[in-house]
Amino acid sequence: MASRTKQKEEARARRLAEEQARTEHARRQQRIRMVLGTVLVAVVLVVAAVVISSGGGKSGGLQTGTTANSTVTEVNQLLNGIPQSGAVLGNPNAKVTMTYYGDYQCPICKDFTLSGGFPQLVQNDVRSGKVKVVYKAFCTATCNGPNPGVFNTQQVAGLAAGKQSKFWYYTELFYRQQGQENTNYVTENYLQGLAKQISGLNLTQWQTDRNDSTLTSQVNSDQATARQIGVSGTPTLIFQGPKGQATPNSGVPTYAQLEQAIKQVS
Amino acid sequence: MSTSAAVNGATTDDVVDRRLQIAIGVVCLIGIGVATYLTYTHYAKLNVVCPVSGGCETVQKSVYSKLDGVPVAVLGLIGYIAILLSLAVRNELGRIAGFGIALVGCLFSLYLTYREIFTIKAICPWCVSSAVMMTLLTFLTAWRVVRVGPEGAPAAASNGKTVPRAERRRIERRQAARR
Repeated sequence: MASRTKQKEEARARRLAEEQARTEHARRQQRIRMVLGTVLVAVVLVVAAVVISSGGGKSGGLQTGTTANSTVTEVNQLLNGIPQSGAVLGNPNAKVTMTYYGDYQCPICKDFTLSGGFPQLVQNDVRSGKVKVVYKAFCTATCNGPNPGVFNTQQVAGLAAGKQSKFWYYTELFYRQQGQENTNYVTENYLQGLAKQISGLNLTQWQTDRNDSTLTSQVNSDQATARQIGVSGTPTLIFQGPKGQATPNSGVPTYAQLEQAIKQVS
Repeated sequence: MSTSAAVNGATTDDVVDRRLQIAIGVVCLIGIGVATYLTYTHYAKLNVVCPVSGGCETVQKSVYSKLDGVPVAVLGLIGYIAILLSLAVRNELGRIAGFGIALVGCLFSLYLTYREIFTIKAICPWCVSSAVMMTLLTFLTAWRVVRVGPEGAPAAASNGKTVPRAERRRIERRQAARR
């Protein structure tokens, strides 16, 4: 009797176990589908985020709306209150001068200006009056691009803003909205669009100053000097101070490297 | 005898799940701390306390510190909070959601770390620590999904060893009566 009950119990347990195994199997399949679906959704989300993030870093171009507003605010926060005169940023009597050879279309200049040591240099050393920055034009990326002729036009647009002591606003805005290389994005619309973003810039005056031949001469003489001293790429940074001259040996110098150069010459 | 193993198995799995939950909770709280600090310094325009000279600031001021205008620190904060909240959803959906969010955070952190090393060429230890925590969370949440079966049943015991709860109770009653 006891063995029969036991057999019955065992048979029942087996049946239940089989049924259990079947439902378990179905559940497991469903689980696998859910997990795979989650992984797929996660990958799609991250790819989208990466595209947006790289887009912000690469494609660029003239911004509008809130994006433009936040860029303008950033630039104002960086520069407001620092004296400017032509292409010079900072105290004209600063002990140390950093000459910055650049090309508005050069992506490495953009990296240096936005994410290299430059913002910190401005915030700490230029704002305090210890260092002044002098921008000089040197054609690199633009001259390697499809329309080298636009180099003078774009750099003069910056210098024309400089006649109203707003050269560095124009320069920062250009780098922050730099387009993708070889896409001919530097159009009249683009150049004027940047000027319109600068608060307090007299646009009519700026347009008039763009035809000032002395500004074109300045661009030409910047380039002549660059060639003379052997500048071969941009950005090239030359620090000059009471103790001589120094050049950070890096494409996109960090703040630490800039500090070291400052120390060397002051 | 197999029944008692199943009963014991269930309890150890419960213990493991609880430990995993605690671990996930702790890592989330640390992550929330880091992300809150970075969010705060971002909006208060403060410099981050940085063990690597200049690295943090360079990274925080780079174009990659924002995703379509939203600081990535805020995204991280939302992610950690969401993973923490997913612990409160005590079913399969909660576990898988936690894993999904952690996976998104981990993959995006990997991308950002790549940008730090190869594009910005500056390292922000705060960001790296957050990336490490997201990776940890991905493993922990994945472990939970694999370890614990559907509706809280231990997956490890599903290989024919387990018996439905009602049946188990009946067997237990019978065993008790026999004693």
